[in-house]
Amino acid sequence: MTITIAVPSKGRMKDDASAIFERAGMKIVAVGNDRSYRGRVEGWDDVEIAFLSASEISREIGSGSVDFGVTGEDLVREGIADADARVEFCARLGFGRADVVVAVPEVWYDVDTMADLGDVAADFRARHGRRLAIATKYWRLTQQFFSGSHGIQLYRIVESLGATEGAPASGSADIIVDITSTGSTLKANHLKILSDGVILRSEACLVRARKAAHAGDPLIDRITAAIRAAL
Amino acid sequence: MPLINLPVFAGDLLADFERMETLRVDTPVIQPAEPFLDMAGEDLRRRIFLTQSETGENLCLRPEFTIPVCLRHIETATGTPQRYAYLGEVFRQRREGSSEFYQAGIEDLGEPDTARADARAVSDAMQVLANRLPGRRLKVTLGDQSVFEAVIAACGLPGGWQKRLIHAFGEPKQLQKLLAELADPTSAGVFGHEVERLAITGMLEDEDRLVAQIGRTMEATGYSTNASRSPRDIARRLKEKMELANTRLDKATLAVMREFLTVDLPLADAPAALFRFAAKSGLKIEAALALFDARVAALSRAGADISLIRYRAAFGRPLDYYTGLVFEIEVEGMAAVLAGGGRFDRLLTLLGAREHIPAVGFSLWLDRIEQAVAAARGTK
Repeated sequence: MTITIAVPSKGRMKDDASAIFERAGMKIVAVGNDRSYRGRVEGWDDVEIAFLSASEISREIGSGSVDFGVTGEDLVREGIADADARVEFCARLGFGRADVVVAVPEVWYDVDTMADLGDVAADFRARHGRRLAIATKYWRLTQQFFSGSHGIQLYRIVESLGATEGAPASGSADIIVDITSTGSTLKANHLKILSDGVILRSEACLVRARKAAHAGDPLIDRITAAIRAAL
Repeated sequence: MPLINLPVFAGDLLADFERMETLRVDTPVIQPAEPFLDMAGEDLRRRIFLTQSETGENLCLRPEFTIPVCLRHIETATGTPQRYAYLGEVFRQRREGSSEFYQAGIEDLGEPDTARADARAVSDAMQVLANRLPGRRLKVTLGDQSVFEAVIAACGLPGGWQKRLIHAFGEPKQLQKLLAELADPTSAGVFGHEVERLAITGMLEDEDRLVAQIGRTMEATGYSTNASRSPRDIARRLKEKMELANTRLDKATLAVMREFLTVDLPLADAPAALFRFAAKSGLKIEAALALFDARVAALSRAGADISLIRYRAAFGRPLDYYTGLVFEIEVEGMAAVLAGGGRFDRLLTLLGAREHIPAVGFSLWLDRIEQAVAAARGTK
């Protein structure tokens, strides 16, 4: 059986992924020209490479149309319901590190924990005539963290597809859930991360779609072992 | 049997509702999504069918009837008291079962006699279920958030804690976790460096100075002082939080609250047991208990079989528009809730009603009732 591995099609993620695959003895080469969206692995005839964007990769793994993918854990957990049942995180690759965090305006001196935020959310409507608004592109992670882990139900998500960290100052939301690697963008926008507000410590991972056809296929184990050995 | 979705007993059910002095009401299947998300929270988003109109308005397929019926009541400016009955399809993504199914129920809006209206909702729900399932024993679980609220208020807990506890009521795990935290705080509240700096400069002693300082900081950092939490909101809650940081729930109070939350007994015995509990622990909760007692009496007058009802002190719903009575009905031998209801005195105001309209109601899961009817037939 041919195994398809989806890897990022551009940028740092592509370079870092290629480097690890090369160290693992799985040098990725583009089929045709450099801009091609198909590739192969030298010496591994039954492996195909699909170059996709990181968010497409999480979607394709979720639907099982590729076997493996290299993408951020945040995108997988956000994009796929019940992720651990449908995919396996085979290896954490050590690049693309970033945290998904809950951040509030620095000037909210009284809010440093999720419990504080729960208090604020509980009577937000009574004071302001609307629910606490959270700007984020991470709907699922936000819901799981707020409702599941902290019992906070009373908030509304305002979808934000870019410049999320500007939403509180512009008044389009009260707080944010966003990804941050150094925290400098948050600081520049006068936001602080709650002391227990890290939802996920994400990094690039080798992720496998859990497919019945994989059972007993030695190629699956060989790929996983090769990548793990290269870390 | 005809191949239609509508439960075979739908007609009988509607006839029951009519005898119960209700006005039949229907609502559009396609509803604005905002009221549902606003009232029930974002969690609902995964469970409803959402779409957008061409102009970007969020629309959804009716996930339940209570909010549409209340909105309809507000729009049509119908007088109160008014009892509405509905029967129709609702749409929800569920782990098990079809995602479109029938619900029916009664919403009783604006009845000033709380005990009577509560009793009527419970006894009507029991009656329509008994009519569908003759000879089967119903199991009713009843809770009352207002008794819980009275207990924690009488315990003299600080306002901030009361709010937290009320918010967690109905979620036993959250509530126990919270009680444990209040009794034995792992840290005395977490405060940022900025708060230490404010403390050193004496700013925290003087609310007005603190408010002015927060306002200046907001302006300097590009934040509006009125779009979200105001400087005074922040200053006041900071003060409240600092006071709470030095307080902990004493053992005796914790024991009283834990004891209360374990109360689980036949409803007939509940009023006496609650009065004894109040006397023993020295809590002044007479007003809440008087209403509780009146409701039990009204249930008897309404002809409900009280021996089928259990009172569980910790039973509630963690939604901020539920205010008092909550109940669920099962049938013996089947682990599924066939009917659920409660009092939601805050909902109509939240939905935009100008005057306060007390409300209580229940809804029936017709697909589950059908299963129960089929199971009953099978065993005969």
